[in-house]
Amino acid sequence: MKGVSHNGKALLVGVGLYIVILGPIIPVIIQSFAFQWHWPDLLPRVWWWSVRADSTFPLAWDYVLSPYSHVFEAAGNTLFISLSVTLLALILCLPAARVLVSPHFKWKTQILSLFTLPLIVPEMALALAFLAVFIPLGLAGTYTGIIVAHLIPVLPYMMRVLVSVYQGLNPAVVEQAQLLGASRWQRLVHITIPLLLPGILAGCLFTLLVSSNIFLITFLVGQGRVETLPTLLFSKIGGGALDATAAGLTLIAMIPGFILLLATERHIRDYQRVGAVGRSIDGSHR
Amino acid sequence: MSRQHWLSLSPVLLVMLLMTLGTLLFAVGQSLGYAPQYGINHFPTLRYYELLVAQPSVAMSLGLTLYYAVVATFLALVMGFLLAMALLRVGRHHQWLHYVYKFPLMVPYLVGIALVIVLFGQGGLMARLSYALGWIDRPDDFAALLYSHYGWGIILVYLWKQVPFMALSIYVVLLGIPEQTQDAARLLGASRWQRWRYVVVPQVMPGILSAVLICFAFNVGAFEAPFILGGGFPDTLPVLAWRLFTDPDYGQRLSGMAVLVTMGAMLLVTVWVASLLSRRANRWQRISA
Amino acid sequence: MNLLRNALVLTGLLSGSLIAATPTDQIAFRTAFLDGQLPWESVSTAARSEGAIDFYYWGGDDRLNVWLERTVAPDLEKLGVTLRPHRITATSDVVDLVLTEARAGKGLGQGSVDAIWVNGENFYTLAQQDLLFGSFAQKLPNATWFDWDENSAGGSLNLYDFGYPTQGREMPWSGEQYVCAVNRSLMAEAETPHTFAELERWLEANPGTFTYVKPPHYLGNTFVQEALYEMSPEGAQGFQQPLDSFTPESLARLLAPGMAYLKRIAPLLAQARNGIPRYPENESALMQLFQNSQTAMECQFGLYHVATKRASGQMPDNTEEIIFPRHNMIKNKNYLVIPSNAPHPAAALVFTNYMSSVAAQKSKLAAVGYPLGLDLWMLSAADQAAMVEAMPPHFGVTQAALDSHIAPDTHASLVRVIESLWQSVVLQGSETPIATLVEQAMSQSK
Repeated sequence: MKGVSHNGKALLVGVGLYIVILGPIIPVIIQSFAFQWHWPDLLPRVWWWSVRADSTFPLAWDYVLSPYSHVFEAAGNTLFISLSVTLLALILCLPAARVLVSPHFKWKTQILSLFTLPLIVPEMALALAFLAVFIPLGLAGTYTGIIVAHLIPVLPYMMRVLVSVYQGLNPAVVEQAQLLGASRWQRLVHITIPLLLPGILAGCLFTLLVSSNIFLITFLVGQGRVETLPTLLFSKIGGGALDATAAGLTLIAMIPGFILLLATERHIRDYQRVGAVGRSIDGSHR
Repeated sequence: MSRQHWLSLSPVLLVMLLMTLGTLLFAVGQSLGYAPQYGINHFPTLRYYELLVAQPSVAMSLGLTLYYAVVATFLALVMGFLLAMALLRVGRHHQWLHYVYKFPLMVPYLVGIALVIVLFGQGGLMARLSYALGWIDRPDDFAALLYSHYGWGIILVYLWKQVPFMALSIYVVLLGIPEQTQDAARLLGASRWQRWRYVVVPQVMPGILSAVLICFAFNVGAFEAPFILGGGFPDTLPVLAWRLFTDPDYGQRLSGMAVLVTMGAMLLVTVWVASLLSRRANRWQRISA
Repeated sequence: MNLLRNALVLTGLLSGSLIAATPTDQIAFRTAFLDGQLPWESVSTAARSEGAIDFYYWGGDDRLNVWLERTVAPDLEKLGVTLRPHRITATSDVVDLVLTEARAGKGLGQGSVDAIWVNGENFYTLAQQDLLFGSFAQKLPNATWFDWDENSAGGSLNLYDFGYPTQGREMPWSGEQYVCAVNRSLMAEAETPHTFAELERWLEANPGTFTYVKPPHYLGNTFVQEALYEMSPEGAQGFQQPLDSFTPESLARLLAPGMAYLKRIAPLLAQARNGIPRYPENESALMQLFQNSQTAMECQFGLYHVATKRASGQMPDNTEEIIFPRHNMIKNKNYLVIPSNAPHPAAALVFTNYMSSVAAQKSKLAAVGYPLGLDLWMLSAADQAAMVEAMPPHFGVTQAALDSHIAPDTHASLVRVIESLWQSVVLQGSETPIATLVEQAMSQSK
């Protein structure tokens, strides 16, 4: 009996979520295949496939998937930048997080609150200040400049995840291994790393997510010279209109999200049981 | 031991200090008239702040910014809480539900903006449905949700992105409450309301507060949604800062920085006060318990 | 230690010879070219060794984007130059980049911008800030296809950009005319406005059916300028003088009637009945309103824009061009400019020369639908016929009618004042006397 009502509720919540979250994607899909979709038609009057053969110019998906749309370049840049940012953030945060959880270390609160600053300061302030400093240094409009700039919004998330990972690590296990005669190296490879790995992966996924969704910093620091999926999308819909190619680009800009969703979900599920990661998931809001 | 600590910490601290505090100093300096790269140096002067205060439209910009941020954050909190409770009730039997609702978290805000344009513009799908149903005759008859002041378009984008975020934060916090504390409270004769008020709320408050503050700070500083979907002059503060910054007259950039510094200061004070209050509330609770 | 220093010197020499030109070489190159002492072959050779060109342009037109990469890039590759097209959302951003780099001490060969698609205000800014490569246009081999006679109507379009002398510091590559189009299912032939006064009457009868792009976007600026022309007793001629020939009072007298008109029609524009009029931010937002039948009429640069947009489904099939405003349709040219700190100046010259060739101009006309930058009457009869063949069609009007209603652009130095006046008077509804606002704006533009 209880199971039935559970299913009923689940159905209700589920249908609601589908309509609100995924429902709006349907008209975008329709728009991406439309050639003429004018007021007040509920469906396009002329579809893209019925005219594409006659057009000398690549229309809708023909344009989006052509090299001229720069979509592949932008996707590559997005991936490259977010991977570099993640790697850098990991290298910077891993040793630091270990120190922060050490019981002998007194400055933990102060340092962690320093790390909340980038979450509070307006992104525009960061981006414009970076730009002004990067231009004379020759970093504006370069990958290096963008990667360095992305570090700031990303570090708070990486730090929090890693600190909670270290906190969840039971020192007794490592001590036990030590008592059993495991060398420092053996302890690291066989105990510490396997225990930390799921958490590190989760932190990396969050940073990847945050970095690949950043628009404003990339737009301003990149000066139009480095295109990523968000900046490409902005150049298309910045005026507040959505034509077929803009709709196609919107759909493509969703793909990394879908992939990351599947990836995070797999890793986070086990990891959540450890608890305390709640806030680390904040990462996904940008 | 301690030296080793600082050695491990220094790279990341250096990056953070240089790039966060450094840029903050830079922004403050510029807003006070120090900008040799534009050939301007009146440091220190408050004239750029005075210029802002002198414009009546800036007050409306501030009002608009706070309106979008407060309304969106509050609604996201309420709806996120309801969603979190629903997810908790549904439990872990329905994995797919736990996938679906997180989707908006994973995509850029610009995607949310695109969805809102296609659905809620005056020529959008909702307007066309209303026309098909005979409710309106012209696109103009449909409520101006986008490209208008205090419009719901911007708030809808924020909600689409942030309700899942709130729900997730609250859900995780709720999951983290050990069943035993509730059971213990029940055994001690606490009523449902008492258990809620004295057991659940204190435990979830810090997590929820931090999620609320993050959303609020983000909404105040957000650029894309108010730029694309806003009503134009007067703009929200970040859009105003951007317009000032792209003005060919370089002097305007310093005013732009003054806008940003004011916003940053406002946010920092808000967060500081909020965390102070929550700490005091916690202490008070512990004493009274 | 010594070894290290030697190694460093050696690498410096090697890389120096690989880069081919140090800044001093490039300045010598510029001087020689501008003095007409450098044969074109040396320019091509230098371009090949530079190997690439960074071209910055407004990237909002998919047709242009495709043409540049599908046609221009491979052609340039044959000349040994790789085209690196950078799409930007606002040309003023690149002007700003050039300016900031110059301020940071980056000279010829050290900047990051080789060529920009500009006209009017942006060219004026670059010239005022002394950020131009020099008077190169007439020295290009393909300059023969352009009329450089200052006294002919066609020649003055090549030599004056918004009334400001180009002195050959930019090369014309495209022509433009500001054209309005109407949706015939919303506006009958007999109702068509041909003057701003008629437009106001149409709007009074059909409020909310028109709007224009928001200044300072150039599409909005141009609409504002045309309104100013018609409303001023002096017409377009009154707007051809530089700013310093005006007093605040005389400029206020010139601008007041047009500004009053624009303020008057603001409550009749699209969405105005919901509180505030909607001025779309750019061309695609303007098109969206037109597609959705929210507006019955739209105006933008693009002599052939109705043809190309009907072909891509962005405009309803019953869209027609109209003559609006009579005798005040602004026609101008736009140009390619080389900044003074171009990293690849020789390649930039080769690029601009290629863009002004007969073949490239014809292919642009057919593929993108942008009017010719070169002057038809300078071509051979056969080439002229081929160009006419390549021209996209008109709907509802003839080319001759469009040609007979043209007007020149406003003088570049006035544009900023007009922009800021529009912001205060029309957008913000300021009640300050117009003379005071003009005075403020004039002091800011100095």
